[in-house]
Amino acid sequence: MLSFLSPLFLAGAAAAAVPVILHLLKREPEPRVKFAAVKLLKRAPVEQTEKRHIRELLLLALRIAALVLLAVAFARPFLASGAAVGATGVTMIALDTSYSMSAPGRFERAQQLAKDAISNAPSGNLVGVVTFDDVAEIVEKPSADRVLARAAVDRASVGFGSTRYRAGLSAAVQMLGGHRGAVVVVTDLQESGWDAGDRMSVPESARIDVADVGPLAEDLAVTGLRSAGDRLVATVRNAGARTVEARLHLSLDGRAAGETSVPVGPNASADVPLPIAGRPATASVSVDDPHGVAANNVRYAVVGESSRSPVLVVSGTGELGRDAFYLQAALQANAAGATTYDVVGVSGSELASWSAARLRPVSAIVVVSTRGLERRARELVADYVNAGGGIIVAAGPDVDGDVIADVLGGTRLRVTMPADTRPAPRTLAPADVRHPIFKRFGANAATLGLVQFQRVSRVAGDGCQTLARFTSGEAALVDCASGEGRALVLASDLNNGWNNFPLHASFVPFVHEAVQYVASARPRAAEYVIGDVPPGIEPRPGIATMKDPAGQQTRVAVNVDPRESDAARMSADDFQAVVTRLKDAGTSEARIEARQQEEHQHLWQYAIILMLMLLALEGVVASRTA
Amino acid sequence: MAGPAPTPRERQFLDPAVVARLGTLELKARTIVEGFLSGLHRSPFKGFSVEFAEYRQYIPGDDLSTIDWKVYARSDRYYVKKFEEDTNLDCHLMFDVSGSMAYGARGITKFEYGACLAASLAYLMNRQRDAVGLIAFDDKIVDVLPASARAGQLRNLLVSLQRLAPANETNVSKPLHQLAGSLSKRGLVVLISDLLDDPEAVIRGLKHFQFRGSDVIVFHILDPDELEFPFDRATRFEDLETNEEIMAVPGVVRDRYLAEIGALIDRYKRELGGAGIDYQLLSTAQPLELALLAYLSTRARAL
Repeated sequence: MLSFLSPLFLAGAAAAAVPVILHLLKREPEPRVKFAAVKLLKRAPVEQTEKRHIRELLLLALRIAALVLLAVAFARPFLASGAAVGATGVTMIALDTSYSMSAPGRFERAQQLAKDAISNAPSGNLVGVVTFDDVAEIVEKPSADRVLARAAVDRASVGFGSTRYRAGLSAAVQMLGGHRGAVVVVTDLQESGWDAGDRMSVPESARIDVADVGPLAEDLAVTGLRSAGDRLVATVRNAGARTVEARLHLSLDGRAAGETSVPVGPNASADVPLPIAGRPATASVSVDDPHGVAANNVRYAVVGESSRSPVLVVSGTGELGRDAFYLQAALQANAAGATTYDVVGVSGSELASWSAARLRPVSAIVVVSTRGLERRARELVADYVNAGGGIIVAAGPDVDGDVIADVLGGTRLRVTMPADTRPAPRTLAPADVRHPIFKRFGANAATLGLVQFQRVSRVAGDGCQTLARFTSGEAALVDCASGEGRALVLASDLNNGWNNFPLHASFVPFVHEAVQYVASARPRAAEYVIGDVPPGIEPRPGIATMKDPAGQQTRVAVNVDPRESDAARMSADDFQAVVTRLKDAGTSEARIEARQQEEHQHLWQYAIILMLMLLALEGVVASRTA
Repeated sequence: MAGPAPTPRERQFLDPAVVARLGTLELKARTIVEGFLSGLHRSPFKGFSVEFAEYRQYIPGDDLSTIDWKVYARSDRYYVKKFEEDTNLDCHLMFDVSGSMAYGARGITKFEYGACLAASLAYLMNRQRDAVGLIAFDDKIVDVLPASARAGQLRNLLVSLQRLAPANETNVSKPLHQLAGSLSKRGLVVLISDLLDDPEAVIRGLKHFQFRGSDVIVFHILDPDELEFPFDRATRFEDLETNEEIMAVPGVVRDRYLAEIGALIDRYKRELGGAGIDYQLLSTAQPLELALLAYLSTRARAL
C-alpha cells in the first residue's frame, strides 16, 4: 500500500494545477486575419486546429503530471509493508501461563477462550499470540493465518512463573506496532498480577479486552517451609470457601519421612510443625490437592546447611541485645516466603581474629559501630566487599567516618558527624521509588516519611547514588559500589537513637530489603522463587546446586512464588483502570517504522527522475506547439 | 519575397498611402501624373518624353497648332511635333476587382492602389490623346467602358472606377480571352491584378493578346504582408474570396509560404518576360510613379 511520510505536501499538487488551468481558461484566442493569398498558405504545412488542441491538452497533462510528481516527491512516498502494518488492524492474544492456571481444566478453558478470541477478531485483522507469566514470550507473530495462532495456543502450556500483567501487555502492545488493534488478555484476573502502584501505558489505538477464566474454586498450597531447630514448619493456605482437612507429606533428602493432617479454615493459613530425625540436607513438604493448582502443592527447603543466611552485625561490644536490638529483631522477623537470617554479632576487635573463609558465607555485614575496628579487621571487611560482599553502614553516633572511608576506599566516601548536637527533626523521602530497596514498598513508600530523624550525619561519596534524602536536603541513604560488592550507608543509626525508625512498621521491610539488596551482589540465599532464580539455575521447583563466586558448591531450594497462591481477584474494570492510555506512543512507533521503510525505498528519487523526464518531453512538445 | 526597396528617386514620389487619402480619384490621378511629369522634365531620363517624340518640317496642310513656335524663333524654320500628332493607340485597362483585391494592411488596399493606378494611367493616356477604355472583372466581366479618345471619356472612366468594389472570386483568364477575342485592332492592354489565380491560365490568356497583335503590360499588385508574411503568432487566416479559414503558425509556415509566393512571381516574370510581355511587380507600399514609368517605356516600344 502506498503511503506518505508527509502527506500534507500532496495538497501542493492540487494548488499547482490551479494556475495552469487558469492560464488555459484565460488563454487568448488566435487573431483572425482576412488574407488574400490563403491558397498559397494552404500549400505550406498548416497545422490543423484539432491537432493543436490535442497538443495543448498533452502539454497541460505533462505540466500537471510534473507538478504532481514534485508534490509526491516532497510527500516522501513509500510502500508500507510488514505483518503488523496495513489498513487492517491487529489482534493480539495475551495468554496467562502462570502456575495459578494449572488447576484441572483451568488452562484448557483459557485455551478455549483464546481460540474464541482468535475467531472473534475482526475479519482482515492480523492475529498473534503472546504467553506470559513472570516474563512474556511471543509464540506467534501477527499474521493473517489464524490457524497458526490457534496452533500456538494449543502448544502453550502452564509454567511455574507467577503472573506479571505488565510483561504480557507490554509484549502484546509492542506487537501491535502502533496500529489500531486489540489485546485480549486471557487470565484469571489475579490481583497479585499487578505490583503495587503499577500502571501500564498503551496507545490510544489499542483496545484492551479481558477474557476471564473465572475464579479458583478451591486450592491448597504450601506457601512456606522453614527450619525451626529439630523440626520443620510448613505453612499451608486454604483458598477455598470451606474448611479442608489438609494432608501433608514430608520428604527428607528425597525419601518419605512422614505424614500429617491438619484442618485449615476457609481462606486461611495454618502452620504445621513436622518433626525431623537426623540431619537431613534437604526437605520437601507436599499437600494433597486434587482439585487445586498443582504447582503450589509442594515446597522445598535446604535444611542441612543453614537455611538462613547469616548476617554479621559489627557493633561496639558484639552484644546484639544491647547494641542492635531492633536490628536483630527485624532481621529475624519471620514473614511467609521472606528470607530469614541468622544474626551474628561481633565487635570490631573480635572481627580482627576472623578469617576470610569464616567471613565468606556471611550474606551481608551491618556496621553499627566502628569502635575497635582496626587495620586487620578493616582489611578483612574491605576484601569481603571487594569480592562481592554487601555492607550496610548505619552512620550513627558510634561510627567513625574515617574508618568507613578506609574500608570503602574506592568510593572515596565521606561520612562526617554533625557539629551541631541540637536535635533538628527531619523526615526521609526516597529519591527513586523504583530502586529495589523501595520497590516492594510500592505505594507505601510514603510511610518512610513518617520516621522522624533528630540527628543525622553527612554522607557523600564519589560515584555513589543517593537513594533517599532528608527533607532538609542532605543525603539520607547512598548506594556505593565497592569492587564487586555493594555498600549502603544510612546517615543515621538503626537502634532508636537518633531516630525512631525501629518503631515504625516500615523498619522491618526496609532492613530486609536493604540486606537483600547488598547481599544480592553475591547470592548467598538458600531459597529462590521462580522469578528470581540466578543464571545457571533452572526455573523449576526443586533443589538445585549452584557455585558461589568463591567456587564452592552449595544447594539452594527453588520454589514457586507464594504470592501467586493468593486467589484474590480483581474485576475486569479494575484491570482496565490500571491501564492508562498514551495517545502518542503508538503513533510514534508507527511513524518510526514508516520512516525506516521510506529511507530504505527512496521512492521520492524515482518521482523526481520521472518528473524531469516529463519536463523534457514537455519542452519538446511546447516547442512544436508554440 | 519582398517588393523592391524604394530607391532615392522613388522616395521623391508620393507615398501611395498619402495619395489614397486625397479627395476624388480624379484629383489623385492628376496629382500623381502631374507630379510625375514635372519630375520627368527635371530628370535625366531623356528617353521618356511624353510630349516630344521628334520634329519634322512643316508641310503645307499640317495643323498650325502643332507648329513649335519656339523652334521657329530659334531657327526661323517651321517644325511640327510628331509625337502629339501621331498618337493613335487604343489602351485597354483591365482591372481585377475580385475579392482578393480588397486586402490591405498598411493604409491602402490593393483595390485602392489598383484604382489609383488605373486612374493615373487613364489620365496620362488621355493627356496623350490615346483612346482609353476600362474592363473591370472578377470571375466574369463586371463592367466595360470601350476605349475612346472623346472628350468626357476620362470622366466616364473615373466615374466607373469609383463605382467599382471588390467582390467575388478571381478568374483572370476568362475575361482575358473574352477581351482578346473582341479586339479589332492592335492596341495596348494593361492588366492590373494580384494574379492570385492559376498562373498557367493567366499566362495563356495574356499570350492570346499577343497573338492578336496587342502589347501587354502586367502590373502585379501585392500587399507587403503578402510579400513578407510578417505574422508572428498563431493566426486564423480567412480567405477574402471563399471565406475558407485555416489556422497557421507563422513560424512553421513562413518559409514555405515565401517560397510559394516567390515561385509564383518568378514564374510570371520568367514566362511573361519570355513571351515579350512587360511584367511589373508592385507593392502597395511603392509609389505609383514607378508604374507610370513602366507604362511609358512599353508605350514607346509600341509605337
